[in-house]
This record gives sequence, structure tokens and C-alpha cells, in this order.
Amino acid sequence: MGEEIKGDFEPKIVGFTCNWCTYAAADLAGTSRKKYPPNSRIIRLMCTARLDPMFVLKALLNGADGVFFSGCHPGECHYIKGNFYGRRRIAALRTILQQFGLDDRFKSYWISASEGEKFANTMKAQSEEIKKLGPTPLRGKIL
Amino acid sequence: MKGAELNSDDLEGALKGLLDKGVVDCLVMPHRAGKAVSYMLVKDADKIESPASVIFAPSFTVNAANLIKGWTIKEKVGIVAKPCEIRAAIELIKLKQMDKESVLLITVDCAGTYTNQVYTEHYADIGDEVDSAKIKELDGKGITIRESCAICENKLAAVGDIIIAKGAGGNVTVAGLTAMGEEALSALELSLEDKDLERAAEKEKIAAEAKAKLDTLPQMGSVEALEEFLQDCIVCKNCRDMCPVCYCKECFFELPLGKPTGGDLLNLAELRGAIGLPPGQLFYHMTRVYHVSTTCVGCGACEDACPKDIPLTRFYPVITKKVQDIFEYVPGKDVEEPLPFTAYEEDELEDKLR
Ligand code: SF4
Ligand code: SF4
Ligand code: FES
Repeated sequence: MGEEIKGDFEPKIVGFTCNWCTYAAADLAGTSRKKYPPNSRIIRLMCTARLDPMFVLKALLNGADGVFFSGCHPGECHYIKGNFYGRRRIAALRTILQQFGLDDRFKSYWISASEGEKFANTMKAQSEEIKKLGPTPLRGKIL
Repeated sequence: MKGAELNSDDLEGALKGLLDKGVVDCLVMPHRAGKAVSYMLVKDADKIESPASVIFAPSFTVNAANLIKGWTIKEKVGIVAKPCEIRAAIELIKLKQMDKESVLLITVDCAGTYTNQVYTEHYADIGDEVDSAKIKELDGKGITIRESCAICENKLAAVGDIIIAKGAGGNVTVAGLTAMGEEALSALELSLEDKDLERAAEKEKIAAEAKAKLDTLPQMGSVEALEEFLQDCIVCKNCRDMCPVCYCKECFFELPLGKPTGGDLLNLAELRGAIGLPPGQLFYHMTRVYHVSTTCVGCGACEDACPKDIPLTRFYPVITKKVQDIFEYVPGKDVEEPLPFTAYEEDELEDKLR
């Protein structure tokens, strides 16, 4: 039965993206008609530094099969150093998730506003990876 | 560093002198109540009795830093406590929950502590102080130190303004680590001389033993293990309240979003089919472990505080150590070193993104 689920399983992925770069890249991917799987729900943040790790924890604990974050490349943050601080928080969060085998379900990228194609490709690869992992062990649990 | 060797009477005189000479306005330090040991806040030096028999007592009640957290008074508070407690105070200074100039941090050597219940029950065996040989001997009798102490790498006094190191024959060496500490000792009119309390070899040995012990603790490894670990948690949040470095005035888990009731819970149950009650065990602990990830001093106060006997040392100190390692940060080691989340390097941690 597990196999059956994996075969036609469409993962639910929650994405957080920075307004100034990846959110625009997603827009660009759309307007230039790049195809990518529709299983990510994107929530716009104003900066990497706005990503409270609790957002990621809450999404994972409520049964998201994957969570991703994408912001401006280091050195290109609209607010100069937001993503330098954010990168430390992401690293700490990932270290914690690793202790419970959950880090593979949390992705983090740097994708600039002009990288529409990179955004589409990243979404494709991510969807494949999460599909391979199968449904989150957290979904069925009574938590 | 400058210091002096003192016998137990001199030590009593020195601590009393801190109050009498106005070096501090009050002292937070241990006192004995029967066999038990707990903290007191002293204004009158006459209340200090045989401190040498109590300041090294291997009994953990609360983390003393938690007792003075958030005090915003002009008076100067002296605090005599173990290394993990002073390290927590130093983190609180960095977190702006305490003013560096209004505390005189006095750290005593520690060899490991027992829970206060075990200490009081076995006082006849344990006595006023222990060393590592004694700890091993007692361990053979089934009297064991707290797990957080067994994995603590920083037992020797090495931080704060003044350290009180155990010496031979019941004597101690007091030494100033900072200008404030040296001034305090000078005010006591002790004859100070150069002291070397680096004790590098001893520190290395302690750290190696602690690391070896840490390696023997079970690893969580999966969501299932975590779920089981926290199954009995009643979300009383006592672990938060007793944690010295959990300091938010308004905790998220006291607000409606963090503490859903009634209709909000029904909505969640509708979304997920069923939810566990009391709600939020995992969300609470996963959030808290992130919040203290760089500042947890591994004192084990959370475990002592848990009414359900959840061995929280295997969660908080063990997990936060891994986060601290990626930033090469030891909480409470250096008051001038920035908190990891308030600093960055332009080129770092890219291997943590994927
Ligand atoms: S989380 Fe636990 S071990 Fe860490 S500082 Fe807080 S009370 Fe001490
Ligand atoms: S003290 Fe124990 S029961 Fe209370 S919230 Fe913490 S882990 Fe849960
Ligand atoms: S504005 Fe995009 S990361 Fe700061």
C-alpha cells in the first residue's frame, strides 16, 4: 500500500519566498510560460530575515510534505544583510531538523528576480525529490 | 590573574566583606536548610554562615541566573554560583536581560551535582563537597550525578568576574578574572599575588570524559522517537519557566495562536482528522529548542523542573550543542563575543542550504 501511495502521490509543499527576488522569479517563470509542478503554495515574505523558523516548524508539523525557502543571493539582499542573518537561522533550524530526519523535507535556495528558469527547474527537481521521499511521516500522526 | 589562597574562615570574611565594604549591595548565594541547600538573597553579612561548607555543595535547585533574570535595579548584585549558572548570567547580559555593571559574577568550581532530592536524601554519603573520585565511588552505590552534569565540559570555574577554585586541605583560591573582579578583591584588602588557574590539563580531562558520556546517550533520530519522547508532556511549560535563557516577556505559547482552545482546536482537528491533547507538545518543544539553540548552557534545570520526569537533558543540551558547534560558540564563555544570531560572516554556511 505504501508503494501505491508513492506512485501517484502529489506532495503538498509550502514555500516562503522573498518579495524582492524569488517571488519575482516565480512571476517571471509564469509570464515566460515555464512549466513547473503546481504543488507548491507560496507565501511572500519581505526578506530572508522575515523567515521565522517557527513558520517552517508549523508547516511541517501540520503535515506539509515539504517546505522551502528562497531568498536573494548573499550580498544581494534588498536590506543589505537580512539574508546573512537569515542564513544563520536556517542553518540552526536545519541542524535541529536533522536530529529527527526531517531536514530532507526542508529546502533552501537563493534565486534572484531574473532567474525565472532556475526557479522553474528548482521547483521541478524539488517536487521529484519530495515525491521520492513519500508522504511526510507527520501527516497521519495524532500530534 | 591576581588572587589569594584563603582558608575557610578567610573565605567567610571575604564574602562578608563584599557586603560590609559596599562592594556589592546584596549577594545571591547558597545557604543550608537542614541537610538541604538552596539560594538566599543576603543584605546582612551576619546571615552568612560557614560558606565554605555550602558554596561547593553538589546540589542543584534552580539555575541561579534565573533568579535574577530581568532585574532592572541600580543596586549591585553579587552572585555566587556554579559555572553553568554564571554562564547563563553571561548569556542574559548579552541578551540585555541584565546589566553587566550591576552584577558581580563569582563562579565556584563544580565537579557535578545531584538533584536536590538525591542530595538531601544521601547527604550522609555525599557531604559538603565531592570530587571526581568521590563521584565515582558514590556512583557504585547507585547515587548518581545529574545527566546534564555528566555531559558538562565546563565544570571548572573559568568565567565571571571572580573565581573560587578548590585547593588542597579545604583551602580555596579566589582570583579576579576581570577588572571589576580584581577591584572587588582589592577592596577586601586581601594580599593578592599572581595565580595560575588555567588548569588546562584538568579541563581537557573533564571535557574528554563529558564527551565520552555524551556519546553513550540515545539519539532521537526520527519523528517517531521524538513523538514517543514527548508523549507524556502535559505542556505545563515549567521547563521554560525554569530555563535561565528562556526570557521572552510574552511567550508565544501563552498567546491565542500558541495556545489554541475550543473552536480553534476543533478547526485543527478538522484539518488533521485528530490532534493530540494537550495540544502542541511537539510545536512547543521544537520551537523552544530553536529559541535556546545558541544560548542553552546545558544546566539541566528543565529536566529537574519536569513534573512528568521527561529526561529533557537528552533533548535540550544534546540538540543545542550541535547548533552551537556549527557556530563554534560556547554560551557564557565570553561576554564580549556576540550572540551567533546577531552576527554573520559573508562567506559561511552555504553547505547548510539545499
Ligand atoms: S534548555 Fe534546559 S539545559 Fe538548556 S539552559 Fe534551559 S534549563 Fe538549562
Ligand atoms: S516541564 Fe515537562 S511536562 Fe512541563 S512542558 Fe516541560 S516537558 Fe512538558
Ligand atoms: S530582501 Fe531578499 S533576502 Fe533580504
